[in-house]
Amino acid sequence: MSVVKLLLVDDEARFVETLSKRLAARGFDVEGALSGPQALERLRERPCDVVLLDIWMPGMDGLEVLKEIRRRHPSVRVVLVSGNASITAAVEGIRLGATDYLLKPVDIEDVLAKVEEAVEKKRLEEEATDRSG
Amino acid sequence: MKDIRASNLWRSDGPPDVRRAVWASVAPPLMFVVLIAMLTAGAATSSRGQMATVLVVACAASVAAAAWVSVRLVRHLRAVVRQRDAFYQEFARLSKLASLGEAACSIAHDLNNPLAIMNEEAGWLQDLLNSTDTDAEVTRREFAASVEQVQIQIGRCREITRRMLTWTRDPEEPSGQVDINTLLMKTLYLVETELVATGVRVVKQLEPGLPLLKGSAAELRQVLLHLMKNALDAMKGTGGTMTITTARAGGSIRATIADTGPGIPPEVLARIFEPFFTTKGEEHGTGLGLTISTWILQRTGGRIDVESTPGLGSAFHVTLPAAVPVDGPAHNGGTP
Repeated sequence: MSVVKLLLVDDEARFVETLSKRLAARGFDVEGALSGPQALERLRERPCDVVLLDIWMPGMDGLEVLKEIRRRHPSVRVVLVSGNASITAAVEGIRLGATDYLLKPVDIEDVLAKVEEAVEKKRLEEEATDRSG
Repeated sequence: MKDIRASNLWRSDGPPDVRRAVWASVAPPLMFVVLIAMLTAGAATSSRGQMATVLVVACAASVAAAAWVSVRLVRHLRAVVRQRDAFYQEFARLSKLASLGEAACSIAHDLNNPLAIMNEEAGWLQDLLNSTDTDAEVTRREFAASVEQVQIQIGRCREITRRMLTWTRDPEEPSGQVDINTLLMKTLYLVETELVATGVRVVKQLEPGLPLLKGSAAELRQVLLHLMKNALDAMKGTGGTMTITTARAGGSIRATIADTGPGIPPEVLARIFEPFFTTKGEEHGTGLGLTISTWILQRTGGRIDVESTPGLGSAFHVTLPAAVPVDGPAHNGGTP
């Protein structure tokens, strides 16, 4: 299987930097973005498999970014990352098409599990589309 | 500028008990009519002297009935006002709890961000320790950078906990007097997360050396917090500027919270102080914030005025009397 491409979106630069290093050390191809618009820009340049998206960011809210990603790149899977246990935002996120969500601080094993699950869902979806198409 | 005074509070009581009101207006004349009827019926058999006596008794009885009904009505109205005060008091207490809940939620978010970074740094150090094929010099540099990050993030956490501690200490002087400038700054801490999230800029124009205000800091903070949240709501999604101004106004102090939101249309402006009136939808607003704020201020002789220009924004002015006359000795605390 080819290398999984991840996009990590969070306004906390150091969080993006260190988690990227750790995911890269685990064999992922990781890119980072520090804001919603930057994330959309990155996706336009280079599509990825899974986006890890912070819900609460200044400027463009995570849920807004999620809507845009789902609209422009429907095949990309999104896992939300939330800084507070606001279940309403997470539920809203799932309704808008997010695959799953994680609570900060995140456990690397949880991240790996959710990413794997998202990649699997993406693969099954693509297979289904290939068969029907 | 719309001015709200005591008359508005009476209107906010809703319609008085209709049954009692009808009884009050009907009873005295009814009593008069009954007695006159008795008089007419007995007229054939009575002398003129007896008739005059009955007439006097009829008049006296209806006056007494009117007085009795009035006393009942006044007592009833007092009870209604007492009930309303108790309700407002309870609501103010509950909204204080609710805003503490919201504050707890934003603290959780504020703390979780530095915690998440420290978590990643610790994990990265663990990764480095587990790894066998690393360059000693590179590893040393990575360790130094991660440790430095942990220290930076601890600093952020400390800042947040320090901020929390200031909430519990209200800037109230022992005599129940409040320094408005300090109170405004501390209230601003409570909306800091929303400020960052909405991208709203804050401009402070605080007059130094203002006299102390009469009142309870906790209650006044509720009012200011409510006005700040309204201002931020008005600029949600668009950003803008929240201007906080304090100044002397005659024998009083005026604190103004102004936003650069869309402003309030005249038909809404006329109703914003009405109880249960809200434009935020039932899920987000109770329609009692401004009503309770007005009630809190009126108890210490203060008031709220609002001015709004559609397209430019709104300004809410809180005016409160100084604890000691303004030309008395000035208080030297003030602008931080």
